[in-house]
Amino acid sequence: MGIQEQYRNEAAELLSSGAVKLVIGYGEGSTSDRRRPVFIRSADETARLVLDANCIANLSGYLVPEGLLSDGKSVAVFLKPDGIRSVNILAAEAQVNPDQVVILGFDIDGGQASPLPGRKATDFAPLIESQKSTGLSTELQQEADQLELMSATDRFEYWNQQFSKCIKCYACRQVCPMCYCRRCIVDVNQPQWVNTSSHTLGNFEWNIVRAFHLAGRCVACGGCDRACPVNIPLRLINHRMSKEALDAFDHFAGESADQKPVLATFRQDDPETFIL
Amino acid sequence: MAKIGVFVCHCGENIASMVETAKLVSTIADHPGVEISTEYKYFCSDPGQETVKKAIREHNLTGVVVAACSPRMHEQTFRKACAEAGLNPYMLEMANIREHCSWVHTDKKEATDKAIEITRSLVEKVKRNNDLQPISVPVTRRAMVIGGGVAGIQAALDIASAGREVVLVEREPSIGGHMAQLSETFPTLDCSQCILTPRMVEAIQHPNITVMTYSEVEEVDGYIGNFSVKVRKKARYVKMETCTGCGDCIQKCPVKKIPSEFECSLGNRTAIYTPFAQAVPNVPVIDRSRCTYFKNGKCGICKKTCQIDSIDFDQQDIIETLEVGAIVVATGFQVQDTSGYGEYGYGRYKDVITGLHFERLASASGPTAGKILRPSDGKEPQTVVFIQCAGSRDVSKGVRYCSRICCMYTSKHAMLYAHKVHEGVSQIFYMDIRAAGKGYDEFTRRAIEEDKAGYIRGRVSKVYEENGKLIVRGADTLLGRQVEVQADMVVLATAMVPQHDAKDFAKKIGISYDEYGFYNEAHLKLRPVESSTAGIYLAGACQSPKDIPDSVAQASAAAAKVLGLFSKEHLEREPVVAMVTESTCAGCWGCATACPYNAIDHRDINDRNGNLIKRVASVNPGLCQGCGTCVSFCRSNSIDLAGFTEKQIFAEVMAL
Repeated sequence: MGIQEQYRNEAAELLSSGAVKLVIGYGEGSTSDRRRPVFIRSADETARLVLDANCIANLSGYLVPEGLLSDGKSVAVFLKPDGIRSVNILAAEAQVNPDQVVILGFDIDGGQASPLPGRKATDFAPLIESQKSTGLSTELQQEADQLELMSATDRFEYWNQQFSKCIKCYACRQVCPMCYCRRCIVDVNQPQWVNTSSHTLGNFEWNIVRAFHLAGRCVACGGCDRACPVNIPLRLINHRMSKEALDAFDHFAGESADQKPVLATFRQDDPETFIL
Repeated sequence: MAKIGVFVCHCGENIASMVETAKLVSTIADHPGVEISTEYKYFCSDPGQETVKKAIREHNLTGVVVAACSPRMHEQTFRKACAEAGLNPYMLEMANIREHCSWVHTDKKEATDKAIEITRSLVEKVKRNNDLQPISVPVTRRAMVIGGGVAGIQAALDIASAGREVVLVEREPSIGGHMAQLSETFPTLDCSQCILTPRMVEAIQHPNITVMTYSEVEEVDGYIGNFSVKVRKKARYVKMETCTGCGDCIQKCPVKKIPSEFECSLGNRTAIYTPFAQAVPNVPVIDRSRCTYFKNGKCGICKKTCQIDSIDFDQQDIIETLEVGAIVVATGFQVQDTSGYGEYGYGRYKDVITGLHFERLASASGPTAGKILRPSDGKEPQTVVFIQCAGSRDVSKGVRYCSRICCMYTSKHAMLYAHKVHEGVSQIFYMDIRAAGKGYDEFTRRAIEEDKAGYIRGRVSKVYEENGKLIVRGADTLLGRQVEVQADMVVLATAMVPQHDAKDFAKKIGISYDEYGFYNEAHLKLRPVESSTAGIYLAGACQSPKDIPDSVAQASAAAAKVLGLFSKEHLEREPVVAMVTESTCAGCWGCATACPYNAIDHRDINDRNGNLIKRVASVNPGLCQGCGTCVSFCRSNSIDLAGFTEKQIFAEVMAL
């Protein structure tokens, strides 16, 4: 029995036993290599679920809509390790009750999806811990290193060009599980901190504000990067912030459900390299 | 329609010499919304304030900008003037064109342009200001004094005698502090314990004072008028309520060879002990780390000895939470660890001791009953060398400051030595004699003239041992030659340094400290007994090195500040507090984590049937200090700060 069959059965079992009211998973997409989220509410619909190496989106963001979890019932969700970390952050930020989230965990390796044992976010603590000790993605780091080699002026010019492409569609925000605010700062117009038109200055403001809002929260699921219609390498900005949080504050986003936000806490032995 | 009055102050020549005020006045007069723009030599003077008031009344001004000095100086003055003229005091803004402009620039044209920009931005802000009403918070009229040395005792007595309750917290088993260790005190040579112990007794007997010894402050929450302090009462293993202080347990305790902290290790104590005979309260404690019972359960002699069953090995630490309105920090100092002075041989030679050791030797209650006997062989030293500034005023040892007391106590030591060992010779190496104080210079003269203290101006380079003598090698800079003195004992006038945990404690209670760890006063000259945190006051050597008269004076001053605070039942606070926009708050509690004052609570929003819709942040205006940390943290911009709203700040910035 393949993983898809196994998890379809599991989803059916969870739904028919009443353990969960909803299963959030992947279904067929518009093309053969694309998957789209599906929301399964009864056991006989579970055949719509697909699970293979194309299931890369982080579905944790679908847990957040107001009212979804307010009846106290549980929801099952298909998650890769990055998504499990997102659930931890959402729990730490009081957006979900982790007891109501049943995790159908899987990982993708070598073009294959394989199941991960455990159903509660806490079951995955050893996995997340080992990820932390491995460190951040080396591929991303290599890409980021290229930028680090540039002079400050060249790097600024690089981002200037990248951000000049931004059309302020906010797809990055819509896809991000961390962007759960009911009103985003860019939608505040009294006062209008961030320019709404897609001029480079306003584009800078938006992308940098978003990078800071994700500092210590981004799990590098890559959603924003894939969603961007003009191919701004958002992954590199977020990677840089994650690296900063990890190196300076030993903060690995989504380590546990009681992790404190990196920008709201301090320790007495924090490095204060920014104080000249 | 905004009607803003702009008042440009010359501050004599302070502003007018660098900023062309006439140009500033005329440029601002054309700015939209400015009703009147005028200048004057000193707006803070009476006629100046009258001009402002008159303009408010005559022009029905809706806002006022005074372009003058820092708001730290005269904001209150002009707020009051506004209020007297019927304008809400928070409709005033100070445009700082002095500290931020005229004082720091040398180009008149550029300074004038900058002054125009600063003033214009404040006009834009004040246009968006709202009327604010001060917040009134009740005051808990009970004080806590932390530290039971002479400063703490004095502050507690002064507050208590004025009829207010005081909790005096001391971490040692007895109150008394360093003063209890001293022999005689300068400049009168009266016995330290004789003048201190009556105060100690008065403190413990005072109906308004609760003395908590062997207790440490764990946590301080709250704000001026309403602190909540967690105090850990360490387990004494002796019942305070029943113990009569008979001392039988101390007599019988078999662990007798523990170096006594009070005696600076010149004497021993037992595992169950009171630090000194006149300890207040006279209730022993068991030193758990040295007690045989706690090590292996095989003793308990004290328990068997005690006739009233006051020993309780099962006692636990108790955390007590106390509500107080004001805190006096009087945590004192410690003597610098002199082991860094390898050249003086401290720690290597038994007869090289610190000033505090000498106090114990000279004290009638000390280990030698007041006889000056050197530690190595108990013989009376015939020559004693005193080395001043052994630690103080020495950049290489990390103490740049003068410890202020060493010149005086060294004189005193030489005097006491002369009184006790009539043939003894004392030599004092000094940098210069600092004897500024009532009767102080007379005192050092007396040591020199009557008690034959030999003063040698110069530093000591080395102390070493040769044929059973300590050889002190130094310079005599007045004669311009090297000197060597053979001594039987060397006394180092070691520096006064902050308590070893002074910085941690400051962080715990939320006050600031200097590079050494001495606590910072709010203003060195004008607010010397207030800390930078409202409602927390400083007394004694925790702020800077001090002698007894100064410590006591500062303690009384701190007590006066506390009593001033307690003179009213309510306290008016600035209405600069955070406000939550509940409709957009996502309830992530980042603000609550970031808030240093624990001022942010959860608030449930329910529908009409009582079902929870969502949970949002809610600011307690009594606790909020208006620091704005939450505002900058909130990702959805759902928190704003009254008096500094985003709209106001944005307008201010955009006008630049």
